[in-house]
Amino acid sequence: MNKDKVKIGIYELTGCAGDALLILDCENELLDIFKAADIQSFSMAKSDNIDGNLDVVLVEGSVSTEREVEELKDIRKRSQLVVAIGLCATVGGIQARFTNPKEWEKNFKKVYGDVKMEHTPPLQSKPIDDYVKVDYYLPGCPIGKEQFLHLFTRIVKGAPPEKYPRPVCVTCKFKENDCLLNRDILCLGPLTADGCGAACISHNLPCVGCWGPVEGANLTSEYYLLKEKGFDVEYIKKKMANYSGTKIAEFFEKIKEEKK
Amino acid sequence: MRIVKLKQKNLNPFLEVISENTELWAPVRKYTDRHVFAQVEDVSQIDVDYTRTILPPRKIFLPPSFNMFTATEKEYKENFSHATKKILFGIHPCDIHGLLIMDQFFNYVFEDPYYTQARNNTLLLGHSCWPDEHCFCKSTRTHIIEEGYDLFFHRLSEDYLVWIGSSKGDDLIRLMPDCFEEKLSDEDIQFYIRLREQRNEAFQTEVNFTAMPDLMELKYNHPLWEKIGTACLACGSCTNVCPTCNCYNVMDHPQLKERGSLIHRDWDTCTLQSYSEVAGGENFREKRSDRLKLWYTHKIQAYISKYGKPGCVGCGRCIATCPVDINVKTVSQALDGKDVDAFWNRLNKGEIK
Repeated sequence: MNKDKVKIGIYELTGCAGDALLILDCENELLDIFKAADIQSFSMAKSDNIDGNLDVVLVEGSVSTEREVEELKDIRKRSQLVVAIGLCATVGGIQARFTNPKEWEKNFKKVYGDVKMEHTPPLQSKPIDDYVKVDYYLPGCPIGKEQFLHLFTRIVKGAPPEKYPRPVCVTCKFKENDCLLNRDILCLGPLTADGCGAACISHNLPCVGCWGPVEGANLTSEYYLLKEKGFDVEYIKKKMANYSGTKIAEFFEKIKEEKK
Repeated sequence: MRIVKLKQKNLNPFLEVISENTELWAPVRKYTDRHVFAQVEDVSQIDVDYTRTILPPRKIFLPPSFNMFTATEKEYKENFSHATKKILFGIHPCDIHGLLIMDQFFNYVFEDPYYTQARNNTLLLGHSCWPDEHCFCKSTRTHIIEEGYDLFFHRLSEDYLVWIGSSKGDDLIRLMPDCFEEKLSDEDIQFYIRLREQRNEAFQTEVNFTAMPDLMELKYNHPLWEKIGTACLACGSCTNVCPTCNCYNVMDHPQLKERGSLIHRDWDTCTLQSYSEVAGGENFREKRSDRLKLWYTHKIQAYISKYGKPGCVGCGRCIATCPVDINVKTVSQALDGKDVDAFWNRLNKGEIK
């Protein structure tokens, strides 16, 4: 092992493993990825994993069991930097969209019945920054190749990764797509972090928000805009909640208050 | 300046001849009712019956995202691959004015080589147009153009009157001298004059730009800005579609395989939260209302004091683009004390049930 190389670990908690898979899917760059860094632990890619002290860890998935809390805390202790990768780690994922604990318990019972989980007690799904300090976020469901390689390269070359503070609309305009909101279609572009290359809208489909909420998103304005266009409020809320995990819970509380 | 006549049926053959060794860029249809400037391989793709393109022509001179140079510890290699020789056909007067403002901006103190090189390599062939409900270039006095083009095509019923605006434009005419008539008939001239008058009367939107610098100053702390900020989606579309916006962000893209970095230059947008964030996390314009105020001050006040004309050319793109109706028209009318019919106004009045 090369002492000069950045020691990296890639860990997966609760999720579809799509982000780890995407890293493996960078086929043209894969040899360079393994050459540029000392990848100590990456269970999807190899079996000789060493879980020691690391420079950087990339964590995929949400926290949804007691054991995962312990695992995550241990990872944090062993690493200089923690990067949350993918929607589940950054916002909690689709499984975290029920923000009310009572609702979660009800749904848990509905799915599993009265079964007792013996291996490890289940928890309501949460993004990893609910339990540990996160240094950088790489959003996406799954993450995008371009953004991943950019972040990875900066890490191995010793440069700090960057935030992604643009909404989808910016790239969407660069691609000269006609605005779907102006055509009265429910599009979540203005609320969603950029990185997909405005993939859906470029194929004439509305943005569903799979990169998670963008910093500074104006949820209230879009909510009322869609309401004025005649969309059912429950439908709007469902669409907005889908890929927002626990991150826009405050907004839904505010909307509830306004209704009263 | 010289004016000649061209039969409409000879336009495409002319464009084919002049673009034999040069890229030809022109308006083409995207979707059923929208247009974009694109490089055309076949002149039959060109659609001159358009009002405005989604992005302004500045995208041809400074692409939304491009690599400026590659840098290593030892080397520095510039990239001017966007600045190829081009002919831009079909550009309207407002957009030519937009480029003239960009020319001033990018040469004000220091020359921006990425802009000027692309600009110097491009011939502008303008085309006449007809206003729709969003056009207000008459208010900004950018509905006619007297300079800045190489050729300008005024469409009459069967012919074009072609203004020759530069010696380079004249060189193009000389590639097909038989197609152009030097002598114009009295009917042609009368037809052109009538058309011009009818066009002047066809404008449906008016903005009082003379009052704007003062109103911006007088209403700088007016609650109006908070109202507009409440509705702004901070999507950045207004600035991206504006023909005179010029902000950009420069970012290092280190290379995984080789040493060194690509230095990317991306259009940036002052309406985004991240725009005014500096090292250490301090943000000077965290509020949307402050960001919008910056943009409108820039467009309708600062440009006038610096360049003698507003940074708005009345193209109507912000009107056609903003989903919540924040645009030069509604903002200036509201500054003027009018109660405007706009989503942002309805939202603040609690009219959305």
